[in-house]
Amino acid sequence: MGHGHPHDHEHGHDHAHDHEPAEYSPVTDPAVADSELSPTDVTRRRFLRGAGLLGAGAAAAAAGAFATPELAAAGDAPAPLGRSWQGHNRREGLLWLSGDHHIHTQYSSDGQYRVIDQVRHANAYGLDWMVITDHGSVTHAKIGVEKVNPDIVAARAEVKDTLVFQGFEWNIPAAEHGTVFVHPGRNEVAVLKEFENTFDGVVTATTDSTPTNEALAISGVTFLGSAVSSRRVQDALFLANHPARKGIDSPHELRGWRDANPRIAIGFEGAPGHQAAGIPAPNGPGGGRGAYDFAPSAASFPAYPLESYRTWGGFDWMTATVGGLWDSLLAEGKPWWITANSDSHQIYADNAVRGGGDFNANGRYDDPVYGGGPLATTNFDFWPGFYSRTHVGATDFSYAAVMAGLRAGRVWVDHGGLINGLDVTVRAGGRSVTLGDTLVARRGTPASLTITIDLATTPNWAQFIPTLARVDLIRGAVTGPAADRDVFTAPATKVVHSFEVNKATGQVTLSYDLGPVSDAFYLRLRGTDGKRSAPGFLGAAVDPMGPAMDVVGSADPWLDLWFYTNPIWVLPAR
Amino acid sequence: MKIIGLDLGHRGTREAEHWLAHLPAVPGLVACTHLVHGERPRVVITVAVADDETLPPLRSTPDGGALDAAVADHEAGRGGRAVIYPGVEKLTGELTVAELLAASAIGRVRLLGAAVTEPEPDTVVDTRDFVRPQWMDGRLTLVATPAPAGRIAPFEVPNPTPCCGAEH
Repeated sequence: MGHGHPHDHEHGHDHAHDHEPAEYSPVTDPAVADSELSPTDVTRRRFLRGAGLLGAGAAAAAAGAFATPELAAAGDAPAPLGRSWQGHNRREGLLWLSGDHHIHTQYSSDGQYRVIDQVRHANAYGLDWMVITDHGSVTHAKIGVEKVNPDIVAARAEVKDTLVFQGFEWNIPAAEHGTVFVHPGRNEVAVLKEFENTFDGVVTATTDSTPTNEALAISGVTFLGSAVSSRRVQDALFLANHPARKGIDSPHELRGWRDANPRIAIGFEGAPGHQAAGIPAPNGPGGGRGAYDFAPSAASFPAYPLESYRTWGGFDWMTATVGGLWDSLLAEGKPWWITANSDSHQIYADNAVRGGGDFNANGRYDDPVYGGGPLATTNFDFWPGFYSRTHVGATDFSYAAVMAGLRAGRVWVDHGGLINGLDVTVRAGGRSVTLGDTLVARRGTPASLTITIDLATTPNWAQFIPTLARVDLIRGAVTGPAADRDVFTAPATKVVHSFEVNKATGQVTLSYDLGPVSDAFYLRLRGTDGKRSAPGFLGAAVDPMGPAMDVVGSADPWLDLWFYTNPIWVLPAR
Repeated sequence: MKIIGLDLGHRGTREAEHWLAHLPAVPGLVACTHLVHGERPRVVITVAVADDETLPPLRSTPDGGALDAAVADHEAGRGGRAVIYPGVEKLTGELTVAELLAASAIGRVRLLGAAVTEPEPDTVVDTRDFVRPQWMDGRLTLVATPAPAGRIAPFEVPNPTPCCGAEH
């Protein structure tokens, strides 16, 4: 089946795939009862459910692209198509929209910029969507959550080709921080405010890592689900931020949030922000990349190793470790996606300074002012879009489509503009799927993977054109729901192939024979500039050339670039 | 060895170290912090001296399971993060691994995030004036990582980034 739109891609690559994004399947439609399905489809549904790929959340995973029948028909809609997409054609019917869901402003006690400062920079650096996430706090719950809204509404009007969501950074009870955000609408502030007052760990004094507080976090996820199902807000999402930073997001907590409502709790930061923190002194802060410089505490999950408290190639250990925590979640066959964000508070080498004023009385600092002194080389953030990007395959340039794309896992992330574009397709038996999706094929059907990469052709924001050296294919078995909720390894996951990319410009197409479909598995990809690699945390047999643990005080983020994709699952039909 | 355990309800190692700073000096004294996880997360302290030395006049707090475990870990040399130990005062600035081992009760240095786990004796350690070895395999072990300019440094940094948001 072809597409309902032309494929005159500017690189001239042939995209005439047998892709069926618009196909509807009653098997994955929760509205269709078992009794209405054919016996074959009932069997298939049971299998999907058994593999954890059907259920409240699989809906998200399994549905993926084909949950959007309007997709193929959308065609090349008139502008606006988002900041980064001007002048481009759709890829497989999707707009890949770059974004960032973790950004602070003067409404955070450790922030300083106006909303419009962040939005204008994000727009200039190419972001199509962004989420304003000021810290949850007593002051924010009382003043900031309301007061920031008119600033966001004004920014939406002023900057039309970047979508600006309102969210906030949740102090998850008993755990780390997380992004919570909602679809714009009449109740966006009311729902965020009620959530913050009821479930924020700082506001409710429930930050201690205790079972009681862990239960409150679960209730928070459930609350967000109810806010959507009762139509108070059109949509809501939650993603855990900097999950391994302090060792306080235990595996069972991550699983608990996910299972409480996988349509709401969809993933975590694969790479934290604060990526300038490791630039060596005196030209930079000389700290730990990502501001990951902690050690275990009484609140930590005791089984996490010391290595988990540092970033690896700028990525969180949970994601960077092949066969590690993220893979242990994917091996369950349940959706859990990664993102990469700026966590922008105060920009490296900026010359603006905090405006002063009474934060507690006003709910924000005064507007930033020109400092006039030395550049702030001890600041450790980049502007949104400057270094970290989360690319979402959206059916349209809209708030709803970005949220749907995130929920579907049609997401890849990169640092430093390592590549321009990416299309990942798994095919078997005349069907094909892309990132976040699940392909079901009869046992024995030959399956193949095709990766099309638009190499970087324009300079990044450090003014050089990165070179992609290598792409690693990671494959893992789907072993079903974890019996031990605190497991954080996936022994059947490893790097199965590395593609050397011996090309500097243009487009690269990589193909890989996945063999005949037999037992359920998943794939994910990782690519690098090849400047800094080492055997992975679980050894060279699992990951011979993975990211190296970042050195505190010496981690130049521009000389160690990676991209990561979310997974694709392949399941046998019965 | 004489050893006592103290559960003073410290929330973190910083509070525990602040308290330990007021311990009177006793030759050979080793004072450790131990993390207690669970419903009441906290840090407990163990203080040990050789049999022929006198313990500081401390009252051991009531025994609980966590405290017993901490004392047992310290005694067996399998757990506990040493804040006070012989030679700690000499571990400032930069020292070679050999100098660090010779000057203090630290028995070995182990590397993380590096190609090898054992550093060379002449490798320079940037102590950052904050060296907290742990009891592992019966030895006070300093876990270190690569540091700028070919040096190594203790894994634990003295002043971690303040958690985002001053109120947290």
